[in-house]
Formats: sequence, structure tokens, C-alpha cells
Amino acid sequence: MTRCGVFLCECGGNISGVLDLPALAAGGRSLDGVVNVTVSQFLCGAEGRRLIEDVVADRGLDRIVIGSCSRRFQGPTFERIARDLELGENTVAFANLREGCAFIHRHEPEKAQRKAETVLAAAVARAGRQRPLQPSRTFLNRSALVVGGGIGGLSAAEELASAGITVHLVEREQSLGGYMARLSKTFPTEDCAMCSLGPRLANAATDSRINVHTLTEVTALSGPPGEFRVRLRHHPRFVTDQCVGCGTCTTVCPVELESQFDLGVTRRKAISRPFANAVPSTFAIDNRGWAPCTSTCPAHTAAQGYIALAAQGRWADAYRVASAPNPFPSVCGRICPHECEEQCTRGRLDQPVAIAAIKRFVADQAAAAGPVEVPARRFEDRVAVVGAGPAGLTAARDLALLGYPVTVFEAQPVAGGMLRLGVPEYRLPRDVVASEVERVLAHGVELRAGERCGQDYTVDSLLASGYGAVLLALGLPQARLLPLEGRELPGVIGGLDLLRSRALGDPVTVGRRVVVIGGGDVAVDAARTALRLGAERVTMACIEDRATLPAQPGELSEAIAEGVLLAPSLMPVALLGDAAVSSVRFQPCTLAEPDARGWRPPRPVDAEQVELEADTVVFCVGQALGEDALAGAAGVAVAGGQIVVDRETMMTGRRGVFAAGDAAAGGGLIAIQAIAAGARAARGIHNHLRGEALLDVWPMERDRAEVPDLELSRRRSLPRQEMRVLPPEERRTSWQEVRLGFNEEEALAEARRCLSCGGCSDCHSCEQACPAGAIDLTQKPWEEELTVGALVVATGHQEFDARRKPPLGYGRYANVLTQSQLARLLSASGPTGGELRRPSDGQVPKRVFMLQCVGSRDSTSRGNEHCSAICCLFATLHASLIRESYPGTQVTIAYTDLRMPGKGHEEYLKLVAERGVRYVRSRVGELAEEQDKSLRVRWEDTVTGGKHEELFDLVVLSAGLEASAGTTQIARVIGLQQGAAGFLKEYHPKLRPVDSQRAGIFIAGTAQGPKGIPETIAQAKAAAARVTSMLHGGMAATPVEVAFSDPDVCIGCGVCVSVCPQGAVRLVDGDRAHALVDQASCRGCGICAAECPSGAMTVGGFSDAELLAEATV
Amino acid sequence: MNVPAVAEPEATPPAVAATEVRIAAARVPEISASGVPVSEVIADAADGERSIVAFLCRECAYSAADAAGNARTSLPPTIRTIMVPCTGRVSPLHLLAALAEGADGVYVAGCLEGQCHYRVGNFHALDRVAFVRRLLESVGVEPERAAMFTMSAADTPRFVATARGMDATVSRLPRLPRS
Repeated sequence: MTRCGVFLCECGGNISGVLDLPALAAGGRSLDGVVNVTVSQFLCGAEGRRLIEDVVADRGLDRIVIGSCSRRFQGPTFERIARDLELGENTVAFANLREGCAFIHRHEPEKAQRKAETVLAAAVARAGRQRPLQPSRTFLNRSALVVGGGIGGLSAAEELASAGITVHLVEREQSLGGYMARLSKTFPTEDCAMCSLGPRLANAATDSRINVHTLTEVTALSGPPGEFRVRLRHHPRFVTDQCVGCGTCTTVCPVELESQFDLGVTRRKAISRPFANAVPSTFAIDNRGWAPCTSTCPAHTAAQGYIALAAQGRWADAYRVASAPNPFPSVCGRICPHECEEQCTRGRLDQPVAIAAIKRFVADQAAAAGPVEVPARRFEDRVAVVGAGPAGLTAARDLALLGYPVTVFEAQPVAGGMLRLGVPEYRLPRDVVASEVERVLAHGVELRAGERCGQDYTVDSLLASGYGAVLLALGLPQARLLPLEGRELPGVIGGLDLLRSRALGDPVTVGRRVVVIGGGDVAVDAARTALRLGAERVTMACIEDRATLPAQPGELSEAIAEGVLLAPSLMPVALLGDAAVSSVRFQPCTLAEPDARGWRPPRPVDAEQVELEADTVVFCVGQALGEDALAGAAGVAVAGGQIVVDRETMMTGRRGVFAAGDAAAGGGLIAIQAIAAGARAARGIHNHLRGEALLDVWPMERDRAEVPDLELSRRRSLPRQEMRVLPPEERRTSWQEVRLGFNEEEALAEARRCLSCGGCSDCHSCEQACPAGAIDLTQKPWEEELTVGALVVATGHQEFDARRKPPLGYGRYANVLTQSQLARLLSASGPTGGELRRPSDGQVPKRVFMLQCVGSRDSTSRGNEHCSAICCLFATLHASLIRESYPGTQVTIAYTDLRMPGKGHEEYLKLVAERGVRYVRSRVGELAEEQDKSLRVRWEDTVTGGKHEELFDLVVLSAGLEASAGTTQIARVIGLQQGAAGFLKEYHPKLRPVDSQRAGIFIAGTAQGPKGIPETIAQAKAAAARVTSMLHGGMAATPVEVAFSDPDVCIGCGVCVSVCPQGAVRLVDGDRAHALVDQASCRGCGICAAECPSGAMTVGGFSDAELLAEATV
Repeated sequence: MNVPAVAEPEATPPAVAATEVRIAAARVPEISASGVPVSEVIADAADGERSIVAFLCRECAYSAADAAGNARTSLPPTIRTIMVPCTGRVSPLHLLAALAEGADGVYVAGCLEGQCHYRVGNFHALDRVAFVRRLLESVGVEPERAAMFTMSAADTPRFVATARGMDATVSRLPRLPRS
């Protein structure tokens, strides 16, 4: 039986004014286990403590019941007394007689008394079931994590470091400094913000006890106070410590983005440093991932990069970027189906950027990039490439660039593969292909044309003659014919044969009436070639219907414009004719559902067969591997019409023999896919020859960068440049190029439409320009785990987004700014060098209107209810600065109430008012923008009731403070409570104002609530003091309110393991499996205890016995 | 008696390993008291005072309750609160035992959906309260005697409204016999 003493607190009349405590005490004495009941005036004071000590000693008590305020207020006080009296942990029970009874039932004292009796009885019953618990001791790590690098975080870090505690200072942005770095001057002394912040920054940069982590986020927290384990995610800076801060990079960077540091009042480059004394002083690259175009391109061409450079007319640089992954930019600019344009973000706004056309113009300026430099020979291993198509030649060039001697074997008399022999010249002029092939060969690549694999040499002979590796980029040179009756008749030819003969200048004729069978790009090419060869009537018959035709829509419509007839949904059944073909018979058909490989076989429909007259029938229904070439490739497996390769290395089943392009994909590759495959094969060959994985065969992936709709909606619509084409009647008989390309003016205009989705465009201009060699675009995000004793969260605030108040025109009217933006304009280091210039025309405004309480003291759903505390002073400061520098400028401050308590503030207000600033107590209706971008403001004077209307040159909104996005994020990650407007809740608003609800985590600055710089610094130093006192002893007791499992009762079912949100429970094997709680990780929620089917699991202080005793009185 | 059906959570509470995003996305309807406006209910005290036991999580609901107390807000004396670390600690046993031993109603109040300090405790509680309501209904006891509410620590008005609503609901029901 426990011996329980009850102590009732009058709370200076708060409790005794409502409850009859002597009567409650009398009733309490008859409760089971109660040895003594005492009433005290103030139990939480020294008097009360002495009373408890005496009674416990005199009466030999082992349990204490406190009837006072809520356990959340004074609970720790009484628990400490019990600890000091060596009663042990978990020996105090609480009856909440103040918040839970007297305060809320003041008007019903009788009912309150009855409830108090029950509440007290419950606490006594609970105390009888409480068992003393032994805390374990834990080591305290003498280090702290400070989250947020503004003035609050900096002050806390400085204070902690000077107490000898190792500090990790974490900041999301690229520099420390936070909001204060953005300010011009500070109230009420009007001293410059940077003058007091600068030394703090320099100190953080140089103090060896402060480890600065910028571009870093906290992603997880575990472990107990004293030994928190913190996971940090570091975002890449792409600039190394080698950076000397010279800024050369910003002069070559082609990408301009909105400056977050200048709060959008100016633009900056994708590589930048926010301000001169940033810490660290290293520049950083804002790379948000791959733009959708780059992400979509099979070769991941940095399209945004060459477009950004093109927009500046830097053609040679643009060519360098466009040709880096692809030796055929001129070809691709013409014939690529440009899936990238489908994905272009601008397509969501108006029309996609004409990426391919820009590329074509850029690539046609290749001469500007100068002659190819022959790369240095670094390795002696010779590589043989079989096939001089896009895949083979790309691999050859890339291997040459890596330093290998390369020989390309080509069966045809000319190099270029399908680019040269398949695509007709009216789409792709031969000299375009020839000049790009020339540039590949100029890398020191040897071409042996007219030599056939399987005839003039074999893979065996190549390897035997000293080649270290062989790449089979054979393509699919054989046109396929359908096994139809009459296919052997004269006049039946393959589409590829027709195109190849024409391309090689061999004699080729077609009849008057031509039927092309097939619906792909080759069929369109064949049909248009037949027209140009003099056919009178060319019909394209295909099994697909008009909507699912695989040919590129642009090509198809050009063909139709030239006079090609389209006969969709027909399957050929027979070729008719005596000496030569004279017609084709077709069965109308539809396509079946796709099979496992995606192939949709034609299915006849119930309709009459049709017959088309034809002197020439051209089959364009697919291609196949060349039999003779395969014969020369012994040991290379072929399956499903393609060479089998290992996707990781591009190697075939035979060691040292690789394959790429159509031959290794079964056909259907567009040029850029073949090019990407060739590049991969080159890397695979390099790795093979060097014997280690030096290069990723598949390129490093970046996330796709998306422009949010909101941002997109602010961008201006710009029409897409349309490309000129030859008129159909002219081109029908001509081999001249149909599409005429952009001129320089068009290319520039089109390139300027790019939205720079990815931030950094991966153009590598900075890398080339950096004199220190500090750019590293291959950096990736990385994670790190630290162990720290305590945390200080000083993640700050953000300005209320004034766009939530549409009548104020913020974001729509050029001359409506916020106070923070004005601070940038007034800052000597700001975008205007401290000169006040209004955004619309750069003029000095003569009439400035400041509107207070934007989003503050606002009970509508669009605003916040709280007063942001600093805005009256912020506006007064700015008004004063304007009046001083521009005596001719009038400033009006429209306020709700002027609130600026605090030392020196009232005096400051008087001073500024004397400088001629007009303060009007008012309610503002609406702002309207005039023709000249001035703003017409209507307001009602709330003193006189008079209505006013006036014109102003500039309107400044005093937008209130809200917790920053970073504050919300960290609150979620580490489990802190947020109150109104997202501000962090303190443990107790008066008694523990910088403690969070979690032990060992402290809060400071505007993350906790709106306040000025002095209060932020005071809180930060208070938080540092709390950390210092907590870590002082080096050891601490772990909380006892954690879960534990009785191994004798546990049945080892593992439910607790699956429900624990901390991952703190695991099953261990002994004689039989049972649960074991890692008490350092457990946070005591008790989910496991409630789920436990055997009753083995419980939580210290909240066992079933304790809770049931309390609930069932 | 017109017994309202127990509202099932729309989404299965996510497994422990679920990400916060999923938790935030899963919208769980509150199992509320009968919803009769307080003004329309006149407590029928003829058969004695009702008694309601409320299990409040120490992170949010208990904090809101203390704030209501400090604001000297009048609350029904029928309600007695018990602090738990998290609503996830409350098992059906606790709720049923309270009803069996003299309470006429029980409820659990915790953090807002997606804001449980232990991520998923309130989802577990929601499930268990729904289970208790089905169980009560199956033995002929009005399921609205058990309820679950969620609120932020700052939302004192919500704590007050739910307490008054629960009192109104239970006051309209007869007293439960003690076992």
C-alpha cells in the first residue's frame, strides 16, 4: 500500500475563490491510501516546497498528489521536489483544479466543487497505481546546431562558440545574413544594417568553433536531447572553394533570373553572389534541374544553354553547347521530330520555343566556332567502328576526343548512313551532312569507305589485326517487302532502295502512277521523292488511320500540300499485273489492340476491296539487319531482329565487341536517339579498354525543373517566329531545301522567348571563363549526419504576400512595392546604389504613399490577425531616409494606429514627424493605376471622416510578418508546434519564452513571433544561454516517460515494431522473440502500448493501470 | 432512436513508414458529436448529472484546454480531462472502461490531421474510436457517446465548441447504468 499525501493550493484565491478547499481536504482524507491532506496559499513557492518536504518526512510519504494549476505549468516544479526528496520519478500525481475546474466553472461553484472531488479522487487513485521509475543517464554532446543564418542564428552561434560549444550553423540560402542583410538602415538610430551585421558575418566565417553549412536543409532529427542525431542535406553549389570571388563568371553567364536577394526588384545571373560580403564569399550556381527540353532530349542536349547563348548572339559558344553531345546539330536542327518542343514550358503560356529552328541556325554558324582541333592522342588502343551512320560517327568522335585512334568502316561509298542515303536532300541538303561528317573526321578519325563487313573484313580479322574494340553500328540497311502475291513483279521496289539510288546519283525512274505502301517517315520521303522524279499521281496507302499515322505531322502535311494522296486504313492483299505490276489490291482494315510488344496488327473490316492502279509500288514497311554484315560478326547474338547488348555497357555477348544504333534497337530510332546510343557506346568502350568504370554509360540524371503556374502567369506572351518554306508548287519539282530556316534576326527573337526553366542552363560558359578553375557542374546533393547536444531554431520570417490583397495591385502595378523592396532600393549596396528610383520609369518619385497593416491586424481570411510589431517603425525609418535624401519628395503614411512602444521609439517618431512626414489615420479603399503608371489612392480619414483622393508616384506597402517557409519546414521535420501565422510556440510564454515544446530545442527571433533586431538578438543570446546551461554538466537523465516492454509477457508479434513512428522498437531473439525499445529514440507517444495485444508494452507514467485508475473513478 | 452511422475514415491510416506528404493528403472526416446546436439543448438534469471523460493529448488538445481555462471560459462541469502523451496512447479499453464505470460519454481530442507530433497517433486514435462506436452500437448503446476531435494547440475556440457540443449530445441521452 502506498502512502499518499495530498497538497491543495489556493493559488492566492484563484482556486480557493471558487472551491471550498477545507471541505475538499476533509473529503480527501477518507480516500484510500491518503495519509495526509494539507492546504497551502502558494504551493509552488518556497513556502510550499518547505511544507511538502516537512510532511513527506514527518509522515513517511512515498506518493504526492498536487491539487493546483495544470500539470503543464508547475508540474516540473513538483516533480523536482519529489526527485530531491528521493521519492523517484513518477511519484507525483496531479489534480488540475485551476484551468480544469476553478477557472472554467466560476459561475457554478457547487458543480465545480463536485467535479473537484472527482478530479482529486482520480488523482489519488492514479497515485496509488504509479510505480517509481529509474531514469538512465545520458551523455551530453557539447555541440549545438543552429538553424537559420540570419541575425538571430548568427548571434546565438557567436554566443555558443564563445562558451566553448562547437556550433553547426545551417542556412538554406547561399549566404548567411538573412533578412538583415537586405535592409538599408535600422531604426531608431538610422545606422546602416550591414555595419552591425558585417562583423557578425566575418566572425562566423573565421571562428573555428563555428561550422557554416549554407545551401543546407535539416531533413531529420532523432535521438534524445544531449545526443540528437541530425540529418543534413547539402545542395550543390557547383562552385568549389577555389573561387576567388572575381566575378568573371557573371559576365559570361547568359541566364538572367529574378534576384531573390533583391526581393525581385532586379535580376541577376544564374551564377551569382547575393552581396559583396556574403559568407561564404564563394559564388553559387542556381541550377534547378534539367529544363523540360533537356530532360526530354534522348541525348540530354543542353537546349536551354545554346538558346540562352543564341539570345545574346554568341553563336560560337552556342555551337559549342549544341555540338557537345551531338556532332550533327545542323542535321538535327532540320530533321529531328523535336519532342523537346512538345514539352517546352512556354507551350503552357503561348506556343513552344522553336528549339529545332534555333538549333539549325546555331549549327549553320559552325564556321564561327573555328576549325576542329585534333584532340591529343592519349591511348594506343585502336577502335574500329563498323558503319558510318549517326551512331557510329558519334561514337568515333567521342572516342577520338577521349584520345583513341579510331577507324570507321563504311560499306557504302560515302559516310553518313541514313542521313546521307535515306533522308532526301530537299529535307536535308547533302552538303549539310557532308560538312558535319567532315568535322567528325577532322578529329583525326580515319574513314575507310566502300569496305564491307563479312566481305572485305570480319570482326575476327579486326580484332586479330590489333583493334582493341569493335563497335557494330550497322544500321538496318535492308528494305523489307511484304510476302504478297506478285512481289517479284518488275516495278515493285523497296523504299530504302529508291531513296538510296537517288542519293547516290544512280539512275532511277518511277512510273506515272506510284503507290507507296507504309505510313512512316520513310514512306513520306519515298512519296515526295517519287513526285520529284516525275510521277503524276502518288498515293500513300497505309494500315493506320489518319490520326495514328506514325509519320511526323509536319512532313505529312507538306507532302499533301505537294500533291501526295493519302489512302489510310488499307492493307495490301495482292500485287496484280502481267509483265509488270499494274495495280495493288487492298482490303479496308482497322488496327487491333496493341499486343505485348506494342504492335497493332491490322484486322480486315467488312467492306469491299479496292484496287489502286500502279506502275511502281514502293514498300516502306520496315527494314532489317544486313545478312552479309552479320556473317562477319561471329559470336554476336541476334534476337528479335536486333543485336543483343548489355544495357549497362553496350557490349554484345562477345567481349570487346559493342553495338549501338538501329542495329542494337531493332529499328525505329530517330537520329538523336542513334546519336545518344553512339555516345553511350563510346563511354562503354572507354570503360572496357581502361578496365574500370571511369564514365557513366548512362548520363547523370538531374530532376526536371518545372516553372510553377503562378510564375508563368506573370510572363509576357511573345509570338513564335514562323519559319519560311518554299511554296508547294515550286518545291514539287525541285530538290531544293523546302524549309528555309531563320535569319539572324528571327533566331535572336525566337531565342529570347526562352523562359530559362532550369535556372543554370548547363552551358558551361563559366567553367571555361573561370580563371581559378572553381566550377564543378558535376556536383550532386549529399547528406550528412551530425550528433549535437541541442538545437536553436532561428529560421525567421517572410513578408506577407501582398498579392493576397488584389485591390492593392501588388504584382500588377509597377510602382507598388513592399517596405522590404524599398529597403533594397534605399540600400547603398542595392541595385540602384541607394538611389530611390521608381520601377516604371526610373524617375525619383515626388509623392510617396506608405500603407500600413497590409496583411496584419486583419481578421479577414486573406490576412493575419496579429500586429506585426515593426511596421510602424519600418515605415517611419524609410520616410525619414527619403525626406533626408530627397527634400522635394513628400511622404504620406496611412496608418490604422501608430504602435511603436520601446526605448527611443516615441522620440524617433517625433523627430521624423518634424522632418515633414505626413501621418494620416485612415482606411484605404483601392488603388488605381493611371496612364503614366502613377497611382490614384482613395482613403477615408478615420479622425475627421473626410474622403480623400490623391495621386502618388510610388506606393509602398508595409506587408506584415509571417513565419518563413523554412520555419514551417523545420517545425514539421523536428516536431515543433506552430501557432497563428505559423510562428513557433514557446514552452511557456512568460516562464520559458525561448524553450520549444521539445526538450533540448530552443527558439529565437522572428520564427517565434514578429519583433525587431534588438529583441531577436536578446532572444538568440537567451537561447544560447539555455543551451549552455543544459550542456554544462556533460551528463543528463533521460526522460522516464518512454515505452518499455516486459520480455516475459511479450509474445513477439511485432505490432509495436510496425506502428512505432520513430522506428525505436525492434524484435530481438532470446529464448523467444520479444520487443526491445531503444529508449534514447523513443519519444513516449504510446501508440505501441495501445496496440500491444499481450499487455507487455507500456509507457512510463501512462500505463494502463494508471490511466484506468484515473478514468474510472 | 435514430442512430447515426459511424463515419468511416475515407483513407486507411497510412503505415508508419508513410511520408508526411501522404499523411497530409489523407483527409479524414471527424467523427463528431450529434451536431445539435447548444442553444437548442436544455440539459435534462432530472435523472442526475452526466459525466464525460475526455482524453487530451498533451501536445495540442491539453494545451488548448489550458488556454481556455486561462481565458476563464465557462465550460460544462460534466467534462473531466485526462492527459495522455498522444491520442495514439488511448486504447479502446480505456474508453470502454470509463463508460462501464460511470461515464456517460467519452471523447479523445488531439492534434490536427497531419500534425500529430508523433506523425500518425491521431490516425490510430480515429480508428480506435470508430471501432468503439461500432462496438457500442452492436450492443445497443448509442455510438455518439464516443467521439474524436482534432484541433491545434492555438485553437481554444475549437476546444470550447467541441466540449460544449459533446456535453449537449450526452445530455440528450439517458444516463448509462454503472456496471
